Amino acid sequence: MKTVIRNTTCADRLLFFLLILASCAGIFISREAVSQSSDVLIEVNGKPAYTFPLAGDRTVTVNGPCGPTVVEIKDMKVRIREASCPNRLCLKEGWIAKGVIVCLPNRIVVTVGGKSAGSPRGVDAVTG
Amino acid sequence: MQLQDKHRIAVLSAYALSLHGFEGLLPTPIPWLRLGLANIITLVALMLYGFRTAMTVTLIRVVLASIFTGTFLGPSFMLSLGGGVSSAAAMGIAWAVSRSFFGPVGLSLIGALFHNAAQLALAYLIFIQRFEAIMIISPVIILIGAVTGLMNGIVGGLLIKNLSHE
Repeated sequence: MKTVIRNTTCADRLLFFLLILASCAGIFISREAVSQSSDVLIEVNGKPAYTFPLAGDRTVTVNGPCGPTVVEIKDMKVRIREASCPNRLCLKEGWIAKGVIVCLPNRIVVTVGGKSAGSPRGVDAVTG
Repeated sequence: MQLQDKHRIAVLSAYALSLHGFEGLLPTPIPWLRLGLANIITLVALMLYGFRTAMTVTLIRVVLASIFTGTFLGPSFMLSLGGGVSSAAAMGIAWAVSRSFFGPVGLSLIGALFHNAAQLALAYLIFIQRFEAIMIISPVIILIGAVTGLMNGIVGGLLIKNLSHE
């Protein structure tokens, strides 16, 4: 054992501890980064209809009271591609990476966020 | 001199190939985990006989091992070749740049690191096109690589010491 330790140079030991340290840190950092990866939650009529990871590209058609709405997920961004509602404000929202797109007539809410995306949002205040 | 070199390369390749085959038979807790025992031979070849010998031995070992196991030119051969060549090249460069800076353990660690890095990059390009998957797995692989690299470096160092005494 002694000869083994004497055989290593300072740089050897430094490199070894650096590698161990960096990889251990990397394990924790990557865990953290992945657990915070966003989900896309699509709600219809106040009820959650779909949940997708933001990372995978896909297109979904969601049916609301006014007809189909096409939601597109691409390159970590979400948009409403086609809508059958009258004013199409949701289309004007464009691509979002975080936040909410709401289509009021069709009662569709698309939420992009971290873990909190699916959690119930409380009421700020109630009057009268 | 030339003939002696050829004999040396042949013997070293045979050793590397048998170690490569032997470690394939060892049961490991994780299927893709390899100890990289053949890297010991690359290390010895590099430190005793120079970069050209080390690279030749690595190439012969990778190609012959894949022919014996029937994976020649397949995806796992690509991974093996990329890992072997990049680790031999990295060790050769580190050895050429600083003769007294790194000992066998340091060189083996560098070899293991570059072997893993090249395999991860190739795996990303060939198999899994998912960046997060690579991000999660790479620190684990580098950690295991550091441990096996340390072991191989210690064994290689003892081997070099004994061989150069003769």
